[in-house]
Amino acid sequence: MTIDFYWRLPTHGCHGSIRHGTYDRGDWSPLGPHNIAPGLDRDGEDDGFRYIDHLAEIAKAAESAGFIGGLIPSFPNTDDPWVISPLLARETRSFRFMIAFQPGFLNPVHAARMSASLQRATGGRTVFNIITGGGGPAQLWWGDSFSHDDRYGRTTEFLDVFKGVWKGQGFSYQGRFYQVEDGGLSPLLALEELPEIWFSGSSDAALQSAAKHADYYLSWLEPFDQLADKFARVKERTAALGGEQKCAVRVDLVARPTEEEAWRDIRIGFENVGDERRRASRGGPTDSVGAARQQALRPSEAQRYEDLIVAPNLWGGFNLLRGGPALGIVGSYEQCAAKLDELIARGTDAFILAGTPHLEEAYRVGEEVLPLLGGQAEALLQAAE
Amino acid sequence: MTIHSYWQIDVAEEPARSEPSARPRGPTLFRDVRTPTLNRYDYYAQIAQAAAQTAFDGVFLPHRPQSDDSRIVAAAIAREVRRITLIAEFPAWSGSAVYAAKQAVSFQRAAHGRLGWAIAPSADPAVRARDGDHVPEDELVERIEELLEVARGVHGERPYSFAGRHFEVQDGGFDAPLNRVAFPRVFLQGESEEALALSARAADVHLFAAAPLAKLRALVETLDTLALREGRSVAFGLIQPVLAREDQDEARADANRIAIGGDAIVGTYDEVAARLAALAALGITHFVLTAPSSLEEAYRIGQHVLPRFHALTERVPAAA
Repeated sequence: MTIDFYWRLPTHGCHGSIRHGTYDRGDWSPLGPHNIAPGLDRDGEDDGFRYIDHLAEIAKAAESAGFIGGLIPSFPNTDDPWVISPLLARETRSFRFMIAFQPGFLNPVHAARMSASLQRATGGRTVFNIITGGGGPAQLWWGDSFSHDDRYGRTTEFLDVFKGVWKGQGFSYQGRFYQVEDGGLSPLLALEELPEIWFSGSSDAALQSAAKHADYYLSWLEPFDQLADKFARVKERTAALGGEQKCAVRVDLVARPTEEEAWRDIRIGFENVGDERRRASRGGPTDSVGAARQQALRPSEAQRYEDLIVAPNLWGGFNLLRGGPALGIVGSYEQCAAKLDELIARGTDAFILAGTPHLEEAYRVGEEVLPLLGGQAEALLQAAE
Repeated sequence: MTIHSYWQIDVAEEPARSEPSARPRGPTLFRDVRTPTLNRYDYYAQIAQAAAQTAFDGVFLPHRPQSDDSRIVAAAIAREVRRITLIAEFPAWSGSAVYAAKQAVSFQRAAHGRLGWAIAPSADPAVRARDGDHVPEDELVERIEELLEVARGVHGERPYSFAGRHFEVQDGGFDAPLNRVAFPRVFLQGESEEALALSARAADVHLFAAAPLAKLRALVETLDTLALREGRSVAFGLIQPVLAREDQDEARADANRIAIGGDAIVGTYDEVAARLAALAALGITHFVLTAPSSLEEAYRIGQHVLPRFHALTERVPAAA
């Protein structure tokens, strides 16, 4: 058995350290002397590098350190994964591009054509992370006014069409959202492999749609019992519908040579977070069931970083230190690997890992944590006791 | 008057070249060491590199539904081909206006503002139905106009709201740093009255199809008048097939052999350059040049015709 480990490409800039909240990689904050990609030259002028140059560094680091590819997230103020992937296609070799995208934003036939073209450009390294949730004002920002459950209906139809045209010409479809007459990819494009499909979403509507179309069901990290239950339900439901579904977790790590060093970074990071940001990170109302589950995890008034430890080596304050989910793994290399082993034992079939800064941590996690998986970390931990 | 010259990369032309699936099957006499990773994208990059090295200002990638998507190709070659503009053509039914704009600014950020946007000419209803597009014929122009209005709107303003027939946005608009790059130059096409009127309102450049000089002169004048009425100025462009050889006989012979179209400019290097200069004198400033055999002809036109053409147009007075 082997497990696919992905890394993440941060598409909204990156912090140079988990201890500080400044986006000093990329141009999401005003450029100062310590910024890179773009940075300032000796005369204080823009040095001509662009954020894509930093993303290329991260992709190559992850590729070299043993990751199979990277998730490329998409939010209103990020660079776009459909653009980033072809931009980096020809300077990476085995790195898979996991494109996060919402089906409503593209015509499904054209999306299939773009995907097949990207498969041709990359030698079949395209993967999709289909996102349907979110909602509220953010959805209207994107120009999408569909309701939550309608969006899942549309996602299902989108993937019906996407996969239908991929089989070649003569495909017709009469759905509620899409109608195609005698469509299909040209023989040249239809030669390509269909990209693997990863699916997120915690609502019933999402699970139903995933059961039909997803290869992997992707969840943020949750307390392990809760996550194991969810994966068991997903697998059960898919089996009942005659399908088979693998489950994956997206999780941040702070992995250090010793546990003390790992918590020290968390403590400093926590202390550098202002009160205002602490309050804001509690989050507003959302249509996303996954986001609501994360919000419910955290104690409302954390004074010390220890208040956010939800289990040994599990910390619920990551969203204070950078955007994204709250829960992550903190510990020595062996402890981090043992936690990942435990997740595998409880039904996880693949991972999207991340650490800050993404470039340096890709090497660290790839070199120090991944080789300890498969019981070797457990043995080391027991030997130490 | 600044002349912009672009070379066309038609992804559907010469389909066997550099295509791994088109290599000879079975044993060959020559030892074939090509891996499947050597593919069409290497060829696209090579043509673009040829255009860059022979002093074209950019490449034009028409939308060809049977082959690679032009926006994917443009991004895939952008980081290894420096300097030149990459004009990617796509149909107005390929997705949401906000998303198209989002992709455009990401490209602009990464490629130092070198993207051009060409909206593909409308296709007939059966072709669009294959793509799942069922917008009535009489709304196609309106859709392009809304697409451009929303895309420019979210790029230029925040908050930006729009409710049209084809696209809507509420409290949208890009934030820094996405809004710091320029919106790509927009190229539109079509010879109908409606298409010209749309360009008068919304195009940066209108690309005409190759035609006799008199017909082009009339089209240029019509569009000029329409744009003036809108209080805008639109640059004129042309998609022009060319075939240039050292001498006339060769040019004629090759034109016959490859059956190049009637509106192509065929002749010696000097003749082709002179014909292009005559078109520039009409006020046309954006030239998309095209020829079968894209790589070899890019070198030939770039090395021999462009320098002559540029030398002639530097002496052409600004046209009315």
